[in-house]
Amino acid sequence: MPSSDMTFDPSYAVAVDIGGTFTDISLLDRASGRVWRAKTPSTPDDPSQAFMTGVIAVLKDAGVEACDLDQVLHGTTVATNMILENKGAKTALVTTRGFRHVLEIGRQDIPRHANLFTWVKPRRPVPAARIHEIDERIGTGGVVLEELNEASVARVAEAIRKQNVEAVAVCLIHAYANPEHETRVTELLRAALPDIDVTCSTDVLPVVREYERSLATVLNAGVMPGVSTYVERLETRLKDANAASPLLLMQSNGGVAGTAAIRTAPALTALSGPAAGVVGACDVAKACGIDDIITVDIGGTSADICLIRDGIVGLTQSGKVGDWPLSLPMVDMVTIGAGGGSIAKVTDETLSVGPHSAGARPGPAAYGHGGSQATVTDAHVALGHLPVSLLGGEMSLNQDAALKVIDDNVAGPLALQRHAAARGILAIMNNNMVGAVRTVSVERGHDPRDFTLVPFGGAGPLHGVALAELLGIKQVMVPPAPGLLCADGLLAADLKAEFTRALPTSGAIDQVQGDAIVAALVKDAIAWLDEETIPEPRQDIQVRALMRFHGQGGEIAVDWSSTPEETESRFMTAHKALYGFVLDAGIELVTLRVEAAGRTEPSPRPDLAEGSDPVPIQSQTVHWETGTEQTPIYDRATLAAGASISGPAVITQLDTTTIIPPGWTATVHPSAALLLKRSAA
Amino acid sequence: MNTQSAVKAETARICDPVSLEIIRGAIAAAQSEMEALIERTAISAFIREKKDFYTALFDGNGTMAVGSMVPIFGDMTRPVLEKFPAETMQPGDVYWYNDCYGSYGAISHSNDQVLLAPVFRDGHICAFVMSWAHFADIGGLRPGSISPDATDIFQEGVMIPVTKMIEAGKVNQAVLDIFHRNSRFPDQSIGDMRSLMASVDLGTKRVGEILDRFGPDVMADALAQLLDRTRRLVRTKLAETFDYGTHKFTDAIDSDGHGNGPFRMRFALTREKGADGEDRFIFDARESDDQAPGPINYLMNKGVPGMALGLFYLGGDPSQVCNAGGPNALDEVLFREGSFLQPRYPAPLGLRGLTAMRMISAMCGLLNTGGGDAPAANSAYVVNIMRGEFRNKTGSLEPYLLADGIGVGYGARATADGIDAVYFVAQENYPVEFLEAGYPVTMRAYGVVPDSGGAGKHRGGCGIIREYEILAETTMCAIRIDSVQNPPWGIDGGRSGRHGIAIVNPGTPDEIVLNPLSDGNMLKKGDILRIETGGGGGHGHPYDRPALRVLEDVLDGFVTAVAARDLYGVVIDEDEVNTDATQTLRADRPKVGRFFRQEYVDALV
Repeated sequence: MPSSDMTFDPSYAVAVDIGGTFTDISLLDRASGRVWRAKTPSTPDDPSQAFMTGVIAVLKDAGVEACDLDQVLHGTTVATNMILENKGAKTALVTTRGFRHVLEIGRQDIPRHANLFTWVKPRRPVPAARIHEIDERIGTGGVVLEELNEASVARVAEAIRKQNVEAVAVCLIHAYANPEHETRVTELLRAALPDIDVTCSTDVLPVVREYERSLATVLNAGVMPGVSTYVERLETRLKDANAASPLLLMQSNGGVAGTAAIRTAPALTALSGPAAGVVGACDVAKACGIDDIITVDIGGTSADICLIRDGIVGLTQSGKVGDWPLSLPMVDMVTIGAGGGSIAKVTDETLSVGPHSAGARPGPAAYGHGGSQATVTDAHVALGHLPVSLLGGEMSLNQDAALKVIDDNVAGPLALQRHAAARGILAIMNNNMVGAVRTVSVERGHDPRDFTLVPFGGAGPLHGVALAELLGIKQVMVPPAPGLLCADGLLAADLKAEFTRALPTSGAIDQVQGDAIVAALVKDAIAWLDEETIPEPRQDIQVRALMRFHGQGGEIAVDWSSTPEETESRFMTAHKALYGFVLDAGIELVTLRVEAAGRTEPSPRPDLAEGSDPVPIQSQTVHWETGTEQTPIYDRATLAAGASISGPAVITQLDTTTIIPPGWTATVHPSAALLLKRSAA
Repeated sequence: MNTQSAVKAETARICDPVSLEIIRGAIAAAQSEMEALIERTAISAFIREKKDFYTALFDGNGTMAVGSMVPIFGDMTRPVLEKFPAETMQPGDVYWYNDCYGSYGAISHSNDQVLLAPVFRDGHICAFVMSWAHFADIGGLRPGSISPDATDIFQEGVMIPVTKMIEAGKVNQAVLDIFHRNSRFPDQSIGDMRSLMASVDLGTKRVGEILDRFGPDVMADALAQLLDRTRRLVRTKLAETFDYGTHKFTDAIDSDGHGNGPFRMRFALTREKGADGEDRFIFDARESDDQAPGPINYLMNKGVPGMALGLFYLGGDPSQVCNAGGPNALDEVLFREGSFLQPRYPAPLGLRGLTAMRMISAMCGLLNTGGGDAPAANSAYVVNIMRGEFRNKTGSLEPYLLADGIGVGYGARATADGIDAVYFVAQENYPVEFLEAGYPVTMRAYGVVPDSGGAGKHRGGCGIIREYEILAETTMCAIRIDSVQNPPWGIDGGRSGRHGIAIVNPGTPDEIVLNPLSDGNMLKKGDILRIETGGGGGHGHPYDRPALRVLEDVLDGFVTAVAARDLYGVVIDEDEVNTDATQTLRADRPKVGRFFRQEYVDALV
C-alpha cells in the first residue's frame, strides 16, 4: 500500500457494545493490531454513562489520550428496544386523502400460520386518530394527478400541534416514483412545527407498496427523537472528554455510518447489535482462512442465525422487527426464541422448549435466584456441561436446583430418565435452531455441509458440535472471545450506505435510462463517502440491478452490466440456481441500487505463541450421549497455538464454555480460534 | 415402577416425544420453504401478491398429517389413490387435478389446481406432499373463469380429472399444453404451474430427508401421533361443548345471483352413546336447502366440518397441528345430495367461497348453541372482478383482468374485538401502488367503513371501503357481496355487522346501486365504483364497552359519534367523553337477547 494512504488510516479505534448486564469496550491500535479490553456494568437508565466510563477505563489501561482516538464505533439497541417494546415517540402520520387507514388495514391478511378464530390484529404504532389526510395525488409512474393543496397541509399542521406529538411521518401515495409533493409537505411541516422531527418516506424507504413504506416511515419517526437524544448525549460526553473523533454507529446492514446518516434514518439501526456480531464472526473466520460460515449467536432469550458465503454477509430487504415487516436493508438473519433461559415444559405429553424465557431474573434454576422452571441452561448443568464454579468465581451454579426442575417438570411428566430428559430439552432446542439454519441455507439454495459453523454469544459454544452433527457440518470454529464478538465486529466493519431508486415503471432494461439513474446514484454515493472523509482508494461502489420475470413478486439482485444481455444472463443464471428453473418470459428491471462502502483495512493480527501441551485445571462428571465419563476441564487462556484436545473435554473461559463431545477434537489456531473437527478414526 | 408408568412403558410409541417434536418442526420448515418458493416465483398476481396457495403433507396412506390453517381442505388424496392405486405409483410421479365432482369436493371450484407427489423410501410410499393454488383464468364463460352468471360447471373453465402430470420424472407436456391453451392468460398459467411443480419437487426432497434421518417407521408413527393428538383434543372439547342430544343452528346466504334465495344451511350436531359405550358425534347438514341454479353451491367434502371444528378447538396453541384428526373426530357426517351443500353434477360452483365463509359462521353458531365460546358471525369476503380493454402506451387496445379480493370484518370474541379489515388466512391485498401500476384503475380511497362492525362489549370487525376510478375503455364488472338480507349475527347482546354495498358514481345523478351478487355490470371510462364491505357481529352488551374504547373507535374512524350515542350509550363532545351524559344514557340499559340479526332472538334455527 502506498505510504500516503497510511496517513488516512486511523490508528486508535474504540468499540463499545452495550448489553443488558455489561458494557464491553475494545480498543484497537490498527497499526500494530494490539487490543485492550474493558468491561463495566451497563447503566440502562442512561447507557451513555457506562459507554463513557468504559471508554475512559480502556484508554487509561492503554495509556492513550482521548484526543488521539481516530474512531469511536458503537452498536446500539436503542432503536430495537423502542420498536419491540412499542416505546417510540408519540407520532403522527400525514398521508394522501382517502388513505388514512392504510396502516390499520395492513395487507388485509390473517397471517398464514395464525388461527382465524383466535388471532388478534396487533395494534399499530400510530392509531388512525393521529393520521391526517392532505389534498394531493401522485399517480403511477410519478404523474401528478392532483396538485398539492398547501392550505390542507397548514390545516393538518394545526391539528398535529393540538395532539402534542413528538414526531411526524409523511408518506404519500406513489412518492417513491415522484417525491416532489412529499418533499414540499415535509418542508412546510418543518417550518410550521419547528420543534418536532419530521421524517418522509422517500428518505427512509423509497420503494413501491404503501403499507410497508408507511410502516417503515412511522417506525423511523418514532425512534428518531430517542436516537437523536442518545446520539447527542454520546457526542457531548465524547466532546467533554476531549475526544474529537467521529462517532460511527452500526446499522442493520452490517456497516457503520456517521451520525448525520443515522439521524435521518435511525430505523437503519434496528438490528445494530446482532449485525455487529455477524460482522465480527466473519472477520474472525477470515483470520482462520475460512470464508463460508453459518453463525449461531445464542444469548439468554434468543438465537440469531446467519449465513455468510465467500466472506460476504448476505442482506435482505424483507426482514421483520417484532410484529412489523421492515423492508430496510438488514443482515439476512433469522431470530428464534431459543436461548439459555428458554423454558422447557410438558403439556399433553408433549415436550416443548421456548419461546418463553426465564429472562435475567429469576433466570435458570441453576443460577439460584429462585427460578422454578426447567431451562436449557439447567439441562446443561444436569448433564455436567458447565463447570460447577464458573471461571473467575463470579457466580457458582446450583446443580441441585437444576436437577430438581428437570426431574419435576420434564423427566417426571414424561416418565423419562433424568439425563434422557435433559438431553431431550437440548435436542428440541437444537432442532429449533436447525430449522432456522435451514431457513438461511437450504431455503436460499446453500448446502449447510459446505460451511463452517461459528457458534458465539454466551451459550453458543455449548451447542456448536451438536448442531454440526445434525446438519452434517464437518467443522466448528469457536472465536477467541465468543462473548465479545460484537465489539470485534464494530472494529472490522466497513462504512456502508445504499442509494436506491425504483424505475418509474418496471420493464425491459432501457440501458440509457438505467445508466442515467446509476450515474445519479453514484454521484450521491461519492458525495456521502467524501463527507465521511473516506479516501478514494478505500471507496468501493457496487451497482446492483433488482430483476424478475414479468409478473413475479420477488426480485433477485445481480450486478448491473454495460449491456442488457449480460445483466439478463446474470439474472437467468441466478434464478436457475435459486429455484431450479427459468421461464420463457420477459425479464424486468425493477430497482437499481448503488452500494457504497468505505473499506476498513484489516489490522495485523499478532499470532498466539506455541507452547506446551494443554493441562486440565480440573475434571468433572459429564453425562454424554455415549455414556458417563469423568471429563477434563481446560482453561482456554492457558492454551497455546497448535494445542490439540480430544473429546470428551470441556473448555472454559470468562465469557463462555465450549464442550467437545467424544469423537471430536479441538485444535488451537494461531489466531486463537478453536477449530473443532471429527477425530480421525 | 408404579402401575401407571408400567402401562405407559408398555404402549410406548416407536417415535419418542423428542423426535416427534423434531419431525413436526422439520415438516413445518419444509412447508415454509415450499410456500416461499411459490411466493417468489409465481407469475399471476392472484398467487404471488394475493397469495392464494396452500401446502400440506400426508402420511403414506394419504391421510393429511400437517395441513394449512384453513378449514377448507377435504380428503385430497382419495381421488388420486382411487384412480392410480398406490402400487402403480413410482418415485418422481406428480398427480394433478381440479375436478370438483371427481374429487368429492376435495377441490371445490375449478380454479384451484392441486399437485400431489408421493415420497418413496425403500420402495414404499411413506408420504405425499401437496401444493395447491388458485389459477387466475382457466377458460370458461368470462375472464377469471368465475362468474355469478354461470349456470353449470362447464362455464367455469376446463376440468382436469386426476392426471399423471409427471411419470417417473417425465413430464406429460401435451396435457399441460392443452390446459394452458384454454387460459385467456397462458403466460400466467405456464409460470404459475412451473412454480407449483418446483414447490412439490422441493417438498418431496425435504420430506425425503426427514425420512432418511428418522426412518420410515418412526416417521409413520410420528404422523400417526400428530393425527391422534388432534383427534383426541377435538373429541374431548366436543364433549365439553355439546351435551347429549341434538343441537341445531341455521344460517343463510342471500341469493345465487339468479333471483333465487335465501339458501339456508341447517346444521345439527348430535352426541349420543354408541353401542360400545363411547360417545358418537354426528354432524348432519341434510336439512339444508336445495341446490341453486347459480354458482353459490358448495360441494362440501366430508372432511370439511371436522376440519372447521378442529381448527376452532386448536385455537392458537402452537403445539397442535391442523390435520385430519379434526375430521376423524366425527363419527358420521351426513349431507343430502341435491342440497346446495352437496349439489348434483354439473351444478356451477364458482362462488362457493361466500358459502364457505357463511359455513364458518354457521359452525360458530352451532358451537355457541351447544355451549361453546365461539366468535360471532363474520362477513363473507368480497371479490370484485373487472375485465375489459384499456388503451396501452402504444395506443392499442389490450385486454385486462383484475380480480380484487376485499377484506371484511370478522366476528367479535368473548375476549377480543373481531378482526378489522381482513380477507382470509394467508391471503393479502393488492397494494394501491401495485394495483395502479398494473391495471387501468386509480384508487380514490382505501379505508375502513365506520359503524360496519356490530356493536358490542367487544366490537365486530369493520369492513373496507375501496373506491376505484375506471380508466379502461370498456369494463364488465362482476360483484360478489353476500349477507345483505341476512347480516352477520351478533351474540350475547352484540349486534349484527353491517352489510356491504357496491355503488357506481355515488352522489351523482347517475348513481346506481349494483345487485350485490351480479355480473355483466358495464362501466365506462371515468366511472367511479365504490365498494363498502360488511362487518362482523358484536359480542356482549354494547353498554358494557368501556367508554374510552368507544371514544378511541370514534377518533380512529371505526365508529361514528352518532352510533356511539345510539348504540353504545356513550356521548362524545369535542373529542372527549361526556361522562355525565353517558352515565345518564347508560343507566337505562336496553334489553338484549342471545343472538342479534335485525332483532334480538333467542335462537337462530
